[in-house]
This record gives sequence, C-alpha cells and structure tokens, in this order.
Amino acid sequence: MTEDPRCTCYADHAWQGTVAIEQNVRIARDTFRLRFACPEIARRIVPGQFLMLRLAGTNDPLLGRPLALYDVICDSDGQPALLDVVYLVVGKMTRRLAALPPPTPLDVWGPLGNGFPPTETSHLVMVAGGIGQTPFLTLAQEYLGLKTFGDPPRRVPRAEAVTLCYGGRNRGYLAGVEDFRTCGVQVRLSTDDGSQGHHGLVTDLIGPVVEESPAACRIVCCGPEAMMETTAKIAHRLGLPCQVSLETPMACGIGICFSCVAKIRDASGQWDYRRTCVEGPVFAADDVEF
Amino acid sequence: MNPAAVKQSSVSLEVQLGRLRLANPITVASGTFGYAREMAGLVDMARLGGILPKTITQNPRAGNPPPRTIETTGGMLNSIGLDNDGVEAFLKRQMPYLAGLGPAVIVSIAGESREEFTRLAARLDGVAGVRALELNVSCPNVSGGVDFGTDPAMCEKVVAGVRDACSLPVVAKLTPNVTDVTSIARAAEAGGADALSLINTCLGMAIDWRRGRAILGNVLGGLSGPAIKPIALRAVYQVAQAVRVPLMGVGGIATIDDAMEFFVAGATAVQIGTANFYNPTVSIGILDALPAALAELGAACVADVVGTIGGKGP
Repeated sequence: MTEDPRCTCYADHAWQGTVAIEQNVRIARDTFRLRFACPEIARRIVPGQFLMLRLAGTNDPLLGRPLALYDVICDSDGQPALLDVVYLVVGKMTRRLAALPPPTPLDVWGPLGNGFPPTETSHLVMVAGGIGQTPFLTLAQEYLGLKTFGDPPRRVPRAEAVTLCYGGRNRGYLAGVEDFRTCGVQVRLSTDDGSQGHHGLVTDLIGPVVEESPAACRIVCCGPEAMMETTAKIAHRLGLPCQVSLETPMACGIGICFSCVAKIRDASGQWDYRRTCVEGPVFAADDVEF
Repeated sequence: MNPAAVKQSSVSLEVQLGRLRLANPITVASGTFGYAREMAGLVDMARLGGILPKTITQNPRAGNPPPRTIETTGGMLNSIGLDNDGVEAFLKRQMPYLAGLGPAVIVSIAGESREEFTRLAARLDGVAGVRALELNVSCPNVSGGVDFGTDPAMCEKVVAGVRDACSLPVVAKLTPNVTDVTSIARAAEAGGADALSLINTCLGMAIDWRRGRAILGNVLGGLSGPAIKPIALRAVYQVAQAVRVPLMGVGGIATIDDAMEFFVAGATAVQIGTANFYNPTVSIGILDALPAALAELGAACVADVVGTIGGKGP
C-alpha cells in the first residue's frame, strides 16, 4: 500500500507508545545499556533497524533520538518481550537519560529503517568504531544461529564465522565486548592510545582478517564517517561486498522531516540527498558519496 | 452559548475556509508530514480534516546541505531547502496515493517567480484529489520565495495570478518575519485568497562557538515547535482583526489547549507541524479531545469559538 520506488521501509509496522525503564546501567565509560519492556517492537524488529526514544512529559529536549537495536530479550515463554539499546552520553538528551532510574517513562516509536540484508555470507566481518558496535550484536546472533528476528522470523543462512573489528578512543570506552565473545564472535580490538588491542585505527585490522580468512568475506560497517569511508575503500579494493549503517542527525526517524539526508548515488552514478531513516540507514558502501 | 446545553456528541466539527470545506479543523502542516504515506503505519489518516504534503516546486530541488536541522530549547531550526522531486514526480508518485486517503489534500506549492506559481497552479487544476492550494510565499530557506511574503504588492500579484490560473481554493501561507503581518495579510486577501495560514517558521540561527561556525549547513534556518507558539498566536490574533477571510493557525501546536487557543484567537482551522516529528500520532490525539473542549465552552460548532477572544488580563 505504501510502495514508493525510492523507499523500501516506511513505518508500516511501527508502534508508538510509552514504556518504562527497567534497567539503565553503565557498561563502559560514558556508555549505558537501557532495557525496557516493549513486546510490540521486540517481536518485529530485525538487526540494523532502530527506534526513536524521547524523554516523556517534557519539551526540553524536544525531539526523539534514534538508537539502534542492541538486543532482544525473550520472556519465560520464549516470546520477544524486552529491548536493549546501548547509548553513549554525547548531549543534552543522553546526559539526562543516563541519570534516569527505573521506572521512568519514555516515549518510543519503532521499529524503523531497513535492517541489514539477510544475504548468505560465509564470513561476516563487522567493523565498528566509537558507539558503532551497537547494531552488530543481534546481527552476529542471527548469523551464528543463536536467535531469529522479525515477525514472521526472517531466515538467515548460517555463517561459518563472524568477526568483530572494534575500535575506540581507549579501553575504557570499549563497551559490550564480552556480549560478542559469549556469542562466539571472534573479536579484534584497537584503541587510539594503544591501551587495548592494536594501537591505531580499526580499519588497520580489516586487511589481516580478510587475508587470514579461508571463507569469502562480507563487510558491514558502522561508526564515524571517516572510518566508514576508509572501510568502504578497503572493501572496494578487495572486491568484497560491503554495507555501511549511516548515522545522520534525525528529527523524526520516520521520513517526514527530510533532515537526515546523505549523498547516495543511483545507477547512473549521480548523487541525490536520500533520507537515511526510510531509505537506510544501511546502504551499499559503493553507493555512498562520502 | 450555554455550556450545559451542548453535549459532546452534538458538536459539529465541519469548518469552511472560503470555498474549501473540511470535515474537521485538524490538519497537518506542509513539510512536517512527508507525503503522508510515511505515516500510514502510525496514524489513522482518514480521520484528519486535511493533509498538506511537503511543498513542491516546478523542477526537482536537491535541497540544502546537511546539517539541516538542530534542536533548540523547546523548538528546532531547519534549513531543508524545499528538497523535492518536482511537480511531475509528485503527480505520478504521490498524488494518487494522497487522493485515496480521504482527507482534503491541500497541495503546497512554491515558485521562484510569479510565473512559476501560476504554472504550478494551472498544472494542479483539475487533478483528481487536489482540493486546494497553499502558496508557500514564506519559506525562509529559499532565496526568492521569501520576497513574495514580505512585499505586499508582490504577494497580492502572486495570489491573484494563481486565482486566475486555476479554479481551486487558494490559501496563502504567510511569514512572521515582517514588520507588520497585517499589511501582507490584507494584500493576500485583496489578491483573492480564500484563506490565510499563519505562520511559517521564524528566521533564526544556531552557532557552535568553540568552532566559530554556524551549525546549520545553510547558516540560517526556520525556528518551529512550541517555542514559537506565542508568535503564531499573536499573528493570528492581529490578522483576524484585519481581514475577513478565514485563517489556519500553525506554529507550535502540540496539545488540545494549543489548538483551542488558536481558535479563540481567530483561526478557523489549525495545522499541526513540528509536533508530528516527536509525537507522530499527535494530530489524532488533538482531534479526539476537540469535541469535549468545544462542549466545555458551550459551542455547537467550531465557528462558535473562532475569534471569541474578548477580555484581557485576569
């Protein structure tokens, strides 16, 4: 009913409502994991999708903020019930959010955006910088056959291996590394100051991972723009499929404000501003004009 | 009006804006509701009084470079720059969908010249589902456009040109960024506008002092949201005293109380704008609360409260 040749995902299956914080715990420097009950979104959301979160009952901050799905927790009957998002304290909204105890109410709407495509992949290489690791936990769970997502559940062919290359400013900022290891993800770390893992850029890790891999690799990437641009170039040079999850400032998350645009190329190579919320946030790396 | 005599169920919500009749006075503002299809999953759109899709121009426009929006205290600045695919793409991809939704579709148009406004009006005349035009003579993010909204003589000519070019009801959307909004309103009325909508965004800016830079990609932007509601109310109140044509109030409306304030100030209908961004179902919530609010004042219809502001102070 809402087909538009330029968009693949409107908020057709979105739900809007008020939820209550169940947990809001610090998991790394300036980094918190927020948990709330929301079965309506939990049963529909797929890896790479996001939701909008807003402090209820106030006009300051006014707008919602987009946050990637981090994890879905099932109830005792095995039904998706709780949602986890992980956020970095960066501004007015997240500073206030970090101070809120359970059961503070939050306005939420989602799931939004297009998730990562469930393409058959032998070796999934996830490249993350800063807070860009958050959309990858569920993707790893899906490709390792640990969980299914979506209603009806989408089928994802199991990968032989999943690797996370994850870089941060210093070891204090690396968040949720054990969550990935517990799933069976091979984790390679880097820090700007060398306090943990490789001393340097996370993109330095991609080449060795791909060279050592016996299986064909597909790269997915999320993080600062310069890091995504470098990853896209490396993937292009290596001839590997690569998708990037763009993080652009959003006001609505549902395609009505036209704020969150990025330069995306079409088949003819011409770019146009496209909304990352409804046409992304996941794009083929070769289509993005960085 | 006797409050005790009016039951909620007997309150009539229909309103008349010149030649345009709306099933109810709750509409959604141009540029804050996409092309409506984005909202299909969240909003029962058939219930709205009217839908104003994002402004269209003759030719496609890429819009301004990002960042295009930044939140401010109680509001937001935008410099989208009329990003749209042009009138032909709109008619092909968007209008058939909009026409099937039910509410009156009021198509917002902007031209860089008087001729472009006229051409757009002629192109949209007679298109199935187009019930009226809103002339965006007030977008602060496009050079040229704002002139039509700040110069009374030019405003009158643009409105008159559109009136001559089509048989559709015409609403002129005015900017608050003028010394005397009533002089522009009188000019739009003289040009033949069926109704006026007030207000478009207030010109503003945001600065990152540490980097010594403007935050918006286009430097200046339009302020919207709850922060501008008093300015919009003032404009509606002043213009209601100055013209005879009906008004659509727009600017920071987010609750039933906001909407009622605009009716009392002189608006016959309201447009919900920025609130759609942070509460996608806000328009339906306001519509649900409207009969009780009207009944509280003893009104049998919306017109009973329009422009009823009388006294001042406590």
